Amino acid sequence: MSRGRLRALGPILAPSGSLLAVAIVGLLLDTYWQYVMAISISAAVIGGALAMLVGYARCITLTTGAMLAIGAYASTLPVVHAGVPFLAALLFATALGAVAGLVLAIPGVRFRSHNLAMITFVFQAVVIIILRESKTLTGGAEGIHVPPPVIFGLSFSNDANFLLLCGALFALVILPIAVLLAGPFGKNLRAIAANENAARAFGIDVRRYLIAAFTWSSAVIAFAGAVSAPRFRIIDPDSYGLMTSIFTLTYPIIGGMGSIWGGLVGGGVLRLFPELLRPLADYIDLAFCVLVVGTLTFFPDGLASAVWTVGRRGRKPSTGSAAIPGVAVARIAELSSATGFAPPTHGGRHGADAPVLTIESVSRSYGALRAVDGVSLSIASGALHGLMGPNGAGKTTLFNLVSGFVRADRGRVLLSGVSLENVPIERRIGLGMTRTFQHAATFQRLSCLDNVMIGLGRNTVFEGTSRSIAAALDRESFRAERRTALSALAAVGLGARADDMASALSLGDQRRLEIARAIASRPRIILLDEPVSGVSAEEAHRLRELLLAVNRELGIAMVVIEHNIRFLVSLCDRISVMSEGKVIAEGDAAAMVDDPRVRKVYFGEREVA
Amino acid sequence: MIVVGGLKVGAIYSLAALGIVVIYKATRVVNFAHGAFVLAGAYATYGVVEAVGLGYWPAYAIVPLATGVLAAAVEMIVLRPIRRADIFALITSTIFIGIGLSEIYRLVQNTEMLGVRNPVSGRPIFIGDVIITKEQIWVFGGALLSSLIGLAIFGYAPLGRGLRALAANPRGAVLCGYSIDGMNAMAWFLGGALAGLAGVFAAPSSGVSPELAVSMITAGFVAAVIGGFDSLRGALFGGLILGVAQTLAAAYISSATANAASFLLLFVVLMWRPEGLFPEAKIRDV
Amino acid sequence: MVDKKLVHRRTILRGAAGLAAAGLVGTKPGSALAQSAQGVTDDEILIGALGQLNGPFAFIGVPGRDNMQIAIDKLNAAGGINGRKLKLLFEQASTPAESVAAAKKLVEDNKVFVLVIATGSTGAAAAADYVRAAKIPTYNTVGATPIIRNPFARNVFHGTIPPASITGQALIDIGFQAVPKARKVGVLAGTYAFPQSHLAEVKPRLEKRGGLEVVVEQFDAAATDYTAQLVSFARHQVELVIILGSFKEAGFAIKQAPEKGLTDAIFVVDGSAVNNAIIPIIGPDNIKKVRGYFNAPYFPTQDDPPMAGYRHLLIEKYNGTLPQGRPNIYDLIGYGSAYVLAEVLKKAGRNLSWDAVIGAWETIVNAKPSDLGGYDIIFPETVTPTDHQGNKKVASAQIINGSWRVVGLAS
Repeated sequence: MSRGRLRALGPILAPSGSLLAVAIVGLLLDTYWQYVMAISISAAVIGGALAMLVGYARCITLTTGAMLAIGAYASTLPVVHAGVPFLAALLFATALGAVAGLVLAIPGVRFRSHNLAMITFVFQAVVIIILRESKTLTGGAEGIHVPPPVIFGLSFSNDANFLLLCGALFALVILPIAVLLAGPFGKNLRAIAANENAARAFGIDVRRYLIAAFTWSSAVIAFAGAVSAPRFRIIDPDSYGLMTSIFTLTYPIIGGMGSIWGGLVGGGVLRLFPELLRPLADYIDLAFCVLVVGTLTFFPDGLASAVWTVGRRGRKPSTGSAAIPGVAVARIAELSSATGFAPPTHGGRHGADAPVLTIESVSRSYGALRAVDGVSLSIASGALHGLMGPNGAGKTTLFNLVSGFVRADRGRVLLSGVSLENVPIERRIGLGMTRTFQHAATFQRLSCLDNVMIGLGRNTVFEGTSRSIAAALDRESFRAERRTALSALAAVGLGARADDMASALSLGDQRRLEIARAIASRPRIILLDEPVSGVSAEEAHRLRELLLAVNRELGIAMVVIEHNIRFLVSLCDRISVMSEGKVIAEGDAAAMVDDPRVRKVYFGEREVA
Repeated sequence: MIVVGGLKVGAIYSLAALGIVVIYKATRVVNFAHGAFVLAGAYATYGVVEAVGLGYWPAYAIVPLATGVLAAAVEMIVLRPIRRADIFALITSTIFIGIGLSEIYRLVQNTEMLGVRNPVSGRPIFIGDVIITKEQIWVFGGALLSSLIGLAIFGYAPLGRGLRALAANPRGAVLCGYSIDGMNAMAWFLGGALAGLAGVFAAPSSGVSPELAVSMITAGFVAAVIGGFDSLRGALFGGLILGVAQTLAAAYISSATANAASFLLLFVVLMWRPEGLFPEAKIRDV
Repeated sequence: MVDKKLVHRRTILRGAAGLAAAGLVGTKPGSALAQSAQGVTDDEILIGALGQLNGPFAFIGVPGRDNMQIAIDKLNAAGGINGRKLKLLFEQASTPAESVAAAKKLVEDNKVFVLVIATGSTGAAAAADYVRAAKIPTYNTVGATPIIRNPFARNVFHGTIPPASITGQALIDIGFQAVPKARKVGVLAGTYAFPQSHLAEVKPRLEKRGGLEVVVEQFDAAATDYTAQLVSFARHQVELVIILGSFKEAGFAIKQAPEKGLTDAIFVVDGSAVNNAIIPIIGPDNIKKVRGYFNAPYFPTQDDPPMAGYRHLLIEKYNGTLPQGRPNIYDLIGYGSAYVLAEVLKKAGRNLSWDAVIGAWETIVNAKPSDLGGYDIIFPETVTPTDHQGNKKVASAQIINGSWRVVGLAS
C-alpha cells in the first residue's frame, strides 16, 4: 500500500481502531466496568453520527431518543415474536432507522433552526407515543424484555464477550460515517452550514444533502440502539424520551463540532459521567446544563476543538499577498490543461460567435416595485462586460435572476443557447456558470483548498459520496482534483495559503479565493458581484490583472458589477448602465463614462442645452 | 362545554405564546427556556399565595415583575456573550438554560408537586346544558386581558415602538438613540413578565412541578407557530385554537391524542402555511 | 488533516482514562479476610440499594435512602447484627440502563452481600432480571408490577407493596364498601406502567362480579384536563369511580368532576394518591367523596404511638424541618424494610452465605421492626418457600379532619 494511501486511510480507520481498542482494553476491567465501557462506546458512536448532523450541518435534532428506540424495538420485536436471528434483526433495525430519517427529513429539511428543531421534536414525541400506545406489539409503557444476542449459535450474554461484540460492530458501523465526513461529502455539509447560498451556487443541493445526513445518522443511531438494547434487559418508551435526545445533543456540542472525533470523544466521555460521578447524582443534570451553556459561551466549537487548536493557532490575517504575475499566468495555463480531471461538460452551443449568455426582456417585481424591468443583454463568448448603476438600480437582482436565486416574472435567460427556465441553482455550475457574491461568500471554516475543491462542481449527493470514497482510497481521480484546485489557488496567488482557514484571510485575499473557486470548474462565464469593493487601489489593480489573465488564458466570459468606475472601465470592453430596473445605456466602456444619460442618473445633472 | 374548557386552557397557552413571540420579534431569539419562566412564575405564585399568604391580588402584580427580572437577568448575564455566536448556539443555550432552571427548582423544592388554591371558588354557573365554573371565566378573562395588554404595549406604547424598531432595523434603531442592550433586556423583561403571568394563571389548575415547564414550552411554541411566529395577534389566536383542538381531540378520539393533536396541528401548519395563520413580514434571503 | 500522532495519542489516552477510572473506583471496601460470601467481613455487612435520587420520582428513592440509613444507624447503635455492623451503599437508578448499571456496580464492583431494589416500574424490572441471573438475595420493597415477580426466582423477595392483583382487589372492595349497591362503575387509568398493571387486574375482576356496567377511560401521564373522560362517566351515570393514577392526576380529575356533571359519584384512589397534597387540589366540597387504600397500618400524620415515635426520628434526621409532604409511604417502607432485612440477616446466623440468608428469609413469620427495637409502621411480613410476597395486607383510608387516616383493612 502506498504511503499516500496509508496517509489517507489512517484518519478514516482511526475512529474504528480506537473503538476496538477501548473494547479490548476494557477486557482488563471487572464486569461492571465492562458494562460501562460497552455503553460508553455506544454513546461514542451516537456522538459520531451526531457529528454529521449537528456538528457539520449544524442542524438541531431532537430525534436521537426516537431513533434509538426504533433501533431497539425493531431489533428486539422480531427476535422475541418471530425468532428472527439477531444479525438479521439488526440489519432490519438499521434499515428502519434509515427510513425513519428519510421520512422525517423529506418534509423537514424545508426548515431551519427553530422550526427544524420543532419538527424533530414532534417526530420524537410521536414515536414515543406510538410505542407507548401499541401495547400488544411493544408491551406499552411496561416495556419488553430483551434476550441476549445470539449469533451463529453463540450467545453473547456475559459482559466481556458483549463488549467485544460491541467493539467489533461499532467499529464497522462508524466506518462509512468516517469516510463521508473526511471527504467531500463532509466538506459540502460544512459549506451548507457556512453559507447556504454560496453552497447552492456551486452545485450543492442543500435539501438532498441534509436528507442524506439525516438518513445516515438516523441509521447509525438506530444501529447503536439495537446493539445496546440487550444489555439493558428491559426496553421501555420512557428510556428513549426527550431528555435522551437533549442529553445526546451535548455530545458534539461539548466534544467538538468540527470533526468526528468531537462527537466520538464527547459521547464516550460524557456518557461516563453519570457512572463516574455517582456521588453527585442529585446535581448531575444541573452540572450538565452549566457545562453546555459554558461551552457554548466560551468554546463555541466544542471543548475538544478548543484544546486541539491551542497548539495550532491560526495565523493572523495577512494584509495582502504579493501576486507574482508571471507565475500566476503560468499556473492559469496549467489549469487549462490539467490532466486527469474532466471539468463538467457544458451543454449547449459553443464556439466563438455564439453568445454565451442571453438575457431576453427579463422582469421581476416585488409588489409595486419593479426591481428589474424588461432587461435584455447579450454576452459574447469570452467577453468582459461591466454592469453599473446607482444603488437600487437592480444590478444584484439581475444577477440573482441569472444565477437562479430569484425567478423572473417575465422573460428568459439562455446559457449557451439553453434556456435556464426550470434549471435549479445547483445545476447551473454544470452548465458552465459560476458567480461571486457581494459580501465575500467564502466558506469561512473550511480551508482555502477545500473552498476551491467545492468550486470544482461535482457536488451532487452521489458525487459527494463517491468522491469521499475516492478520497479515502487515495485514488488518482481525487488526487487529480486536488491538483486542479491547487492550480487554481496558485493562479490567484494563494498557493501558499492552501491549508489556511478562509477566515484567516484578509478581505482582498478572500476575494481572490472567491475567484479561484469560481474558475476551478473552468466555466464559460462568471458573474462577479463587486469583486473589488472594500479593497485598496493596489489590490484592485492586482485583481484586475488576474481577471484579465484568466479571461485571456481560459477564455472565460465575465459580467462584473462594480461601483468602482475606473476599475470597471479598465477591465471591461462593454458596459451596461442600469437605473430603476432598466438598462438606460450600453456601449463601449470608455464612452459610457461621459454619456450624458449616465451622468444624469448618477449626478442628476441638468441637461446641457 | 368542552370548548369552554379548551378556551380556558387556550388562554393560558396564548399568554405563554405571546411571551415567546415578543422575545422573538424583538431579538430574533427563540426562547426555549420560556417554559421554565412559566414554572418560575407558578412557583412564585405558590410563594406569594400559599407560603407567605398574601393572597392573589398581590400575586398578579409581584409575580410578573419577578419573572420579568429573571428573564432580563438571563438575557444580560448568560445570553449576551453568546449573542455574537450563531443561531445554533443561541437556540441550544436556551434549551439548556430552561432545563437548568427546572433543575434548580427541583433541587430547591424536592416534592412531587406544590398545590396552589383557586383564585375564585363557588358553585358553577349553568347556562342551559353547559356548566361553566367561575374559575374558568376568571382564567380565561384574565389571561385574555393580559394578552391584550401585552399586545397594546408592544403595539402602541413608546416601549413597544422601540422594540419594533429594534426588530426591523437594529442599526437604524441605534442611530435613533435606542440602545441594543437596553432594548434586548426590555424585550426579555416583557416576555418574562408574560410568562410569569401565564404561571400565575396556570398554577392552580396545573400545580407547580417541573412538568409544567415542558408542557408550557411545547404548547406555547406550537401556538406561536400556528399563529405565525412573527405575529402577536397570531400568538393569541394560536393559543386559543390549540387549547380547543387539544380538548376536542381528547374528548372525541382519546386522551393520548391530545398531545398528538398539538403536534399534528404544528406539522400541518408548518407544511401548508409556514408563515402561520397571521403572517406579517416577508423576508428576502439573498 | 488529522495528524496520525494525535490520533494515536487519543486512543491511548482514552484507554488510560478508562483504566484509571476503573482503578480509582475498583478498590474494595473492608478487609478480605476469610469471607464465605462477598460483602461480609468480620465486622461489617454491606447492603446495596438502588433507587431514584433525582428526576420526577425522587420522592421514592430519597426517602428510601434516608430511612434505610435511619434504621441502620439505630441498629448499629444497638450493637448491630450478630456482632456485625450494617453499611448501606445507595446508588442512583431510574431507567433500565441505569438500574442495570447500578445493580452491576453494587454486586460486581462493590460486592455487596444483599441488594435492595427501592425503585419502581421498568428500572426495577431490569434490575430484577439481572439479579435473577446473579443469584444475590434481593429485596424488592416498592415495585408492584408483575414483571418483577415473574418468573419466580428463589433469591428475590417482595416486601411491603403487594402485587397489583391484591391492591386491585382492594380498590374494588373499598369501593363497594362505600357504595354497596353500585351498578355502574367507572375506571380512570393512566396510560403508563403502574396504572396499566392495575387496570389489567381491576377490569377482569369487576367483570367477574357480574351485573355491572363498567366504563373505562384513560389519560396520558400528568394530564391536567379530564373533561372528556368525566363527561363520559357523567353520561353513563356512574356511581363509583376507581382512579388509577398519581395524586396530581386523581386530584384534578376529582376536582373537575362536578363541573363536568359528575356530581354524586364516590371516588376510590390508589395508594399513590393517598397523600395529603391531594386535599387542597380537590377542594373541601369533594373530601367526603374520596376513599383510598394505603400500604401501611397508619397514615404518616396519625398520632398512634408507633407513628408518632417514628416521626420524631425523621424530624431529627432532617434537623427539625421536614420537607413538604414527608413522611410519605416510601419513608415508612424504607425504615420498616431495613428492619425486616436486619431480622432476616440475624436469623441467618453468624455464618453468613447467600444460601443461609435465602433459607432464613423463606421462613420468616410476622417479621416486624419492633422485633429489633423499631417502630411498627409497616405491616408485618411473612414468607414461604413458594410465596415470596412478604406483606399481603392493604389498609382502607379516608380523609378525616383535613388529613387521610387509615380506618381499617380493605378486606
